[in-house]
Amino acid sequence: MFEVFKKELKELLRDRKTLIFVVALPVAIFPLLFAVMAFISSQAALEAEQEVHTYAIINGNYAQDFTDKVFYHKSFALYKGDETFNTVEDLTKAVKAGTIDMGIYLPSDAKQTLDDAKQSEWQVVYNDAKAINFLFDRVKELAKEYGDTLRTNKLLSFGVSEEQQAAIIEPIKVVKVDTADKRENLGEKIGGFIPYLLIPLVLMGATYPAIDLGAGEKERGTLETLLLTPITRTQLVLGKFVTLLASSIATTTITVLSMGVWISVAIAFVDLAVVKNAFSSLTVLDLGLIFVLLLPIAAIFSSLALAISIYARTFKEAQNYMAPLSMGVIFPIMVALMPNVELTSKTAFIPVTNVALAIKEIIKGTVDYTLVGLIFLATVIVAGALLAFCVKWFNKEDVLFR
Amino acid sequence: MIEVAGLKKKFKLTKDHKKNKTDNVDPREDKEFFHSVRDVSFQCNKGEVLGLLGPNGAGKTTTLRMISTALKPDEGSITISGHDIVKKPLVGRKSIGFLSGSTGLYGRLTVKENVEYFARLHGMSKKAVAARCDELFTLLDMHSFIDKRAENLSTGMKQKANIARAVVHHPDVVILDEPTTGLDIMTTQTVINFIRGLKEQGTPVIFSTHHLDEVALLCDRVAVINQGISCFDGTLDEFKQTGQSEELNQAFMNILTESRNV
Repeated sequence: MFEVFKKELKELLRDRKTLIFVVALPVAIFPLLFAVMAFISSQAALEAEQEVHTYAIINGNYAQDFTDKVFYHKSFALYKGDETFNTVEDLTKAVKAGTIDMGIYLPSDAKQTLDDAKQSEWQVVYNDAKAINFLFDRVKELAKEYGDTLRTNKLLSFGVSEEQQAAIIEPIKVVKVDTADKRENLGEKIGGFIPYLLIPLVLMGATYPAIDLGAGEKERGTLETLLLTPITRTQLVLGKFVTLLASSIATTTITVLSMGVWISVAIAFVDLAVVKNAFSSLTVLDLGLIFVLLLPIAAIFSSLALAISIYARTFKEAQNYMAPLSMGVIFPIMVALMPNVELTSKTAFIPVTNVALAIKEIIKGTVDYTLVGLIFLATVIVAGALLAFCVKWFNKEDVLFR
Repeated sequence: MIEVAGLKKKFKLTKDHKKNKTDNVDPREDKEFFHSVRDVSFQCNKGEVLGLLGPNGAGKTTTLRMISTALKPDEGSITISGHDIVKKPLVGRKSIGFLSGSTGLYGRLTVKENVEYFARLHGMSKKAVAARCDELFTLLDMHSFIDKRAENLSTGMKQKANIARAVVHHPDVVILDEPTTGLDIMTTQTVINFIRGLKEQGTPVIFSTHHLDEVALLCDRVAVINQGISCFDGTLDEFKQTGQSEELNQAFMNILTESRNV
């Protein structure tokens, strides 16, 4: 068995493509991810901060305070062109033509309407399909401020003090007392994303070399000669399985280490509040626990990938079979992302989902170590059963000589 | 000595095969199975070379795969030097060297690593591996390319490496399945010389081929299979007599025609 393992490992280390998938990708994927996250968030913030939208307002004199607020807002610039706008249709045409980004139509004097015990309806014309939806929110906010002032003044004129007004407008105020700390809160939000990234990488660490170890042997014509050596099929399978496990574990180790290193770098040098809050309390022990949980998962994937690969007649056929396997792995991870799906003594027995849930709990800092033990046990049992199946399959002539 | 008696092997028909069945059904097919080998017997003694002949699809490869223990026969026995290798395949694997025209090498390993790997899988000691490899590399004139990766070798070099791999463990019997198919003249000559060398050493060799000139050149015995059944097993002279001429083609055709009539 050791001879098979040694030889397979030697071949694996001489295969550039495998090295790229097993080593380079996990090392590169985390910095890339953080870099993209930082870039996107900073770009979005910068654009939102700097972008100025041209607007036109009709009947602005009916609400001069509001009109002034819009005029002095840093995100808005009054249209200074030659066109004149009198109706909502005019504003719509101008927005569609790109003459202005937004049009505001005030149909009546809001103060007078309020005095008449009526609600004034203002219209904001803009293109909602564009990624500038905050236009509407900003105008709404300014209108609310203006409306609040009108209401307050009106009620004051009726002799209702500001405290009384607050009580009338909001008779019951519900205050949230959150027991979750920042880590738990953010861990819940992004903790599910980490297994989504880690587990497929573990799978990739097993599947890519597996194709070469099974179907590749058939296609090259080396399998038959290997079967004619005086080692048992069990030894042969174990040799190949251990190679895949080593590859998968290598990917896992590199991935977890890479994650640790890049999180530290991100926290130290880059101002990524979300990452910092979620991971600052993550200890080396937690990372170690994530690694340990991924080991039996690696064993499951190694057995599955080897079984599939040995069934396939050719390299290409094996690749075709591996694609549904990847889909099959994503599904249980997605289950772990669903709301209200939590790590319990029941979910601890669902392969892959259990590990995804446990990783989320570890990141949240709320992991139950008894359940982790249960997960480890359940996953080892599944991995063992799959390995036994793999050995059985390796003994079947109609699989080896399809 | 190797003795093969009453070998039978059937394969389950695939769904696709059943769907695509035509009226022109092979007599070896029934509803569920394809009886690839129905009754094959022959023997090859020490120092003999046996040529296994038969048309395409006759069951030669399946027979050789059963002898090499890659496939398990449904019925029949295979004995090598008194050991029943059907019952004890691991014993058989230590005694057999196998090479076919489609046998490959591990491309990312060097020639030396390829040969040494199989030697170690056969349980040879480090010292024995080194000595045997050196002997084979000299014998087959391979020293100039033993450190090259197999993926970078020419066809001739590959076949030499394959020969070395097949016999590195001093097998009692060597089985060659169409070993010269697709090879150029020089490489074919290497294979022929290799078979001659084995014969001189007294190692029984069974090889399947479509080249009757190779049979005339190398074989002491001939076995013919047609549609999974042995239809001839005898010496080269006996084989020639069935054709009533020195032309082996005629003998081969006569045997096939006779077997069809039966």
